[in-house]
Amino acid sequence: MQRILYLIQKEFRQILREKTFIGLIFGAPFIQIVILGFAITTDVNHVPLAIVDYDQSQMSTRLSDAFSVTESFEFEGNLNSEQEAVQALDHGRIKMAIIIPDNFERDLKMGIHPVIQAVVDGVDGNSAGVAMAYLNQISIKLQKEWMQETGGLSARMRQVHLTAIEPRMQYNASLESVNNIVPGILATMIMLITAFLTGMSIVREREIGTLEQLMVTPIRNYELILGKVLPLIVVAFLLLNVGILAAGLIFGLWMKGNIFTLYFMSLLFALSTLGLGIFASTVARTQQQAMFIAYFFMIFAILLSGFFIPIENMPPFIQGITYLNPLRYFIVVIREIYLKGTEMGLLWKEGLAMGVFGLATFILSSLRFQKRLE
Amino acid sequence: MVTVEVENLTRTFGKFTAVDQVSFSVQKGEIFGFLGANGAGKTTTIRMLCGLLMPSSGTASVAGFDVYTQPENIKKNIGYMSQRFSLYEDLTVRENIRFYGGVYGLSRPQISSKTDELLEFLKLQDQADALTASIPMGWKQRLALSTAMLHDPPIIFLDEPTSGVDPVSRKNFWLLIYRLAEQGKTIFVTTHFMDEAEYCNRVSIMRDGAIIELEKPQTLKTKYNVNTMQDVFMQVVEKKSL
Amino acid sequence: MNRILFSITKKEFWHIIRDYQTLIIIILMPILMLLLFGYAVTLEMRQIETILVDQSHTPQSRAFLDDITSTTFFKITDRDVPEKEFEHILQQRKARCIIVIPADFARSLETQPETNIQVLVDASDPNAANYIRNYLIQISARFNFKLNPQLKMPFSVEPRILYNPDLKSYFFFVPGLVAVIILLITSLLTSIAIVREKEVGTMEQILVSPVHPLQIVIGKMIPYTVIGLIDSILILIMGRFLFGVPVLGSPWLLLLSLIIYVLSGLSFGLLVSTITESQQVAMLTAMMITLLPTLMLSGFIFPLKSMPLIFQYLSNVVPATHFLTIIRGILLKGSSLMDILPEMGALTGITILLLAISIRKFNMTLE
Ligand SMILES: Nc1ncnc2c1ncn2[C@@H]1O[C@H](COP(=O)(O)OP(=O)(O)OP(=O)(O)O)[C@@H](O)[C@H]1O
Ligand SMILES: [Mg+2]
Repeated sequence: MQRILYLIQKEFRQILREKTFIGLIFGAPFIQIVILGFAITTDVNHVPLAIVDYDQSQMSTRLSDAFSVTESFEFEGNLNSEQEAVQALDHGRIKMAIIIPDNFERDLKMGIHPVIQAVVDGVDGNSAGVAMAYLNQISIKLQKEWMQETGGLSARMRQVHLTAIEPRMQYNASLESVNNIVPGILATMIMLITAFLTGMSIVREREIGTLEQLMVTPIRNYELILGKVLPLIVVAFLLLNVGILAAGLIFGLWMKGNIFTLYFMSLLFALSTLGLGIFASTVARTQQQAMFIAYFFMIFAILLSGFFIPIENMPPFIQGITYLNPLRYFIVVIREIYLKGTEMGLLWKEGLAMGVFGLATFILSSLRFQKRLE
Repeated sequence: MVTVEVENLTRTFGKFTAVDQVSFSVQKGEIFGFLGANGAGKTTTIRMLCGLLMPSSGTASVAGFDVYTQPENIKKNIGYMSQRFSLYEDLTVRENIRFYGGVYGLSRPQISSKTDELLEFLKLQDQADALTASIPMGWKQRLALSTAMLHDPPIIFLDEPTSGVDPVSRKNFWLLIYRLAEQGKTIFVTTHFMDEAEYCNRVSIMRDGAIIELEKPQTLKTKYNVNTMQDVFMQVVEKKSL
Repeated sequence: MNRILFSITKKEFWHIIRDYQTLIIIILMPILMLLLFGYAVTLEMRQIETILVDQSHTPQSRAFLDDITSTTFFKITDRDVPEKEFEHILQQRKARCIIVIPADFARSLETQPETNIQVLVDASDPNAANYIRNYLIQISARFNFKLNPQLKMPFSVEPRILYNPDLKSYFFFVPGLVAVIILLITSLLTSIAIVREKEVGTMEQILVSPVHPLQIVIGKMIPYTVIGLIDSILILIMGRFLFGVPVLGSPWLLLLSLIIYVLSGLSFGLLVSTITESQQVAMLTAMMITLLPTLMLSGFIFPLKSMPLIFQYLSNVVPATHFLTIIRGILLKGSSLMDILPEMGALTGITILLLAISIRKFNMTLE
C-alpha cells in the first residue's frame, strides 16, 4: 500500500512539473465547452437561399418575403434565371433556390395549382432534408393564410378538417443542442484523459527506460497499475468538475440530478476506459502507438454511443454491437442525470453494465500487463 | 557460498540465439566481471537473472530463488542498474531517492535517514533539489547505483555502470564497488573498459551468446601470455572470429 | 542534398513498416470509419418505444392509431395508461414518447378546422426527439390527405435535389473523412514522432549531424504524407465502389488540393513539435489546435451557417473548411479550378503562412 502512495506522489510531481500540461488539462475543457457549446448546433438554420421570381407579382413577392424573414433561411437575394441559380449552387454560395414560375398569381387565383420548384444542394443530406421540411412548413402556413383570404378558397376551407401534432418536449423543451452537447463532451473528456494518458504514461516509462528499473523492484503488478491509474482518476475528476462548472457558468446548464450519482457513475465508466489505456500500453511499444490504439477505439466508441446519432438509427446488427460499448451506457446516464434528474435507483442497469465491463476490461488488461520484458 | 548459479541458460529471439547455453556460478562477496563485444548477450543474461526476461531453456537461481518461478523473491534480493540511465530526469535528486525508497518498501523514517545519508555520501547536498537532468553524468551514475541499493540487497547487477563517466569518477565508482564487496555483497558487472576488468575477481568473456573464457584476470593473462586484459580481450574476441 | 533527404526518408519508411501494428491501424481505421459512416448512419429510425393512449375510442381514433402501428418506426410497448403516470413513465425510460388522442377527437374532427393530438417526447436526446416529431408530422399529413380527398392546396412545392438526389449521408461524410484522416496523420502523428526524438534524446544526435535539421524533419514527414495520401485514395476508391460516391471533377485538381492541404497539416505538426517537450503534451496540443477545430469548425458534420457569426469567421482560418468545400465540389459537383478559386486561394494562403511560421519557429528553437 505504501508503495502505491509513493508512485502516486511521483506521478503528481511529474504532472505538476510540466506547466503546459496543467494548462492544457484545465484549459481544454473550458475551450471545448465554449467552442462546442456555442458553435455546434445540430439544428439547421440560416440556410442560404435565393429566389428566382419569374412572375414578379404581388403574391410572388409575398412568397419571397415569407422566406426572407425566418431564422431558418438566410435570404441572399433575387436571381434572374434558373441557370444563375444553379451556378450559385455550384459555387456553394447558396444551398437552396426557389423558382416561382411565370403566371404564378394568375394560376393561383384561377385554381390551377401552380408548382413552385425548389432546387436543393443535397450534399449534406441531413441538412437538405431539414431545409426542405422548413420549406414545407413555411409554404403551408402561407397557403392557409391565402385560403382564408381568397373567397372561393375560404368556402372550401370550411369543409377541411385537419389533425395537428402538438409535441411537448420534456426535459429539453426547445431541443437545444447545448443540452445534448454538454453532457456528451463531459463523457468524452473523461474518456480522453483516462484512455490516452494511461496508455501513454506507461509506455513513456518504457521508452525512457525507467519501467525496466521499476520492474526489478519488489513492487507488485497491481501496485504499479494502481499507481499509474489513481493519479489520472484524480485528474479526470478535477477535469469533470471544471467541465461542470464551465457548462454552468457559460450556458447556465446545471445538472438536475445528484452530483454524487454522477461521480459514482463516472468512476464506473472510467474503469473501462482506464482498462483500455492499460491494454493499449501492453500492445504498444511507442507512445505514438498507444495514442493511436486508444484513438482508434475512441472514435468508434463515440460514433456508436448515441451521442450524435441515435442508436435507433442504426441497423440492427450495429445496434447489437453498441451493447458492448461502455460509452453507450454512460451517455444515457449522464443525460438522465443532467436533464431529467434521474435517481441512482433508476440507472442501476446502466451502472451494472458499466461496472461489469469496467471490471472485466480493467482486470483483463491488468493481467496482460506483465512485469517482464518481451 | 554460491549466490548465483547458472546452467545451460539460453535465450532466443525468434530464430536468433542471443544467449547460448551459458553456465557459471558466482560466490558471495565476489566481483564478477562480464565482458564481451557489443551484442554478445551480456544484457540479455543479466535481464534473465533479474527476472525481467523469461529464459528459453536452462536453469538459473539467484540468491537461492529460481528465475522461472520466483522472480518476485529474486527482486527483493537484488539491486539492478540498467544499461540505460534509469532515474526520472524530471524529478529532483531528493525526489528520486525518496521515490525508490518508497518503492522498495522502506519505512518513512528509514527513507529520511537514507536520503540524508546518501546525499552526504554522494556529496550532493547542494544539488539535492535540482532536477536530475541537470547534474553531471558521473554523479547521475553514482546516484543511480545508490538508489538501486536503497534496500540493501546482497546481490548487485550493474550493466555498464561507467559508460560515459570520466576517469576520476570512474575510479570513485570502483572504490564504491570495492567497499560493497568488502561488506560481503556480490557484484555482477559488465563493462567495456579493460582496466576495470583487472579489478574483478573473476571475468567471463562472451562472444555470440556463449561464454568463451571464465577465469581470474591473472590466470587469463598468463594463459595468453600477455600483460593486460586489453590484450586478452583482443585475442579472445579476434581469434575466435577468424 | 537530395540524396541525404532520400536516405532519411527511406530510413523513416523502414521504421514505419517495421512498426506494422501502427501501420495496420493507420490503414484499417479509415476503412472501418468509412464503413461505419456508410452503414451505421442511416437517416431512418426504428422501433421507438411508444405508448398509445386513446381517450376517444372511436373508429376515427383507431384509424389514426392504425397509421402509427403499421410502421416499423414505433414499437408499441403499452396502451391506455392513466395520465398521472406519464411523467413517471418518461422518467423511468419505459417509453420515449406517449401519443395521446383526446376524448373529443371524433367530434372535433367533424366540426373544428384543426384537432390537436398531444405527444409527449423524452427530449433528453434532442436528435431523437426531432426525428420523432418529424415522423409524426408526416403521419398526420398522410392522415389528413386521406380524410380530405378534396383538399388541394393553392400551390405545391416540387423539390429538385442536386448532386446527391437520394440524400445519402456518405456523400457528405466520404470527403469529410478524407480531410480528417489526412490531418490526423500529418499533424498528430508527425508531431509526436518528432517530439519523441526530443524525449528519448535522439534529437541531440540529429542536431549535431551535418545535415540541416529541417531536412531530417522533412524526411520524417514524407512517409506520413505518403501514408496520408494512400489513405485518402483508399477512402475515395472505397467510397466510389461501395457507396457510389463519384469523382466528377478532375483527379489532378483533386491531387493538387490534397497536396496543399497535406502541407498545411504538416506545418501544424511541425509547429506543435516546436512548442512541446513531451509526447503527451504534443498529443493534447495537437488535438486542441488541429483536430478539434477540424472536426467541429470546418463544416465536417455541423453546418457552418447555423453557428454564431464569430465562429463562422473563425472557421475561415481552419484549412479544412476550405479544403472541404474544394473536395466536395470536385467530387460531387464536378467543380473546375475556376469554380473553387477563392477556396483554393484561401487554402494556399493559409498553408504558406503556416509553413513560414512553423519553419521560422523551428529554426529559432534550434538556436
Ligand atoms: N528484445 C529483443 N528482441 C530481439 N533481439 C534482441 C532483443 N534483445 C536483445 N536482442 C539481441 O540479442 C543480442 C544480444 O543483445 P545484448 O543486449 O544482450 O548484448 P550486450 O552484450 O549487452 O551488448 P552491448 O555491449 O551492446 O550492451 C543482440 O544481437 C541484440 O540485438
Ligand atoms: Mg548490453
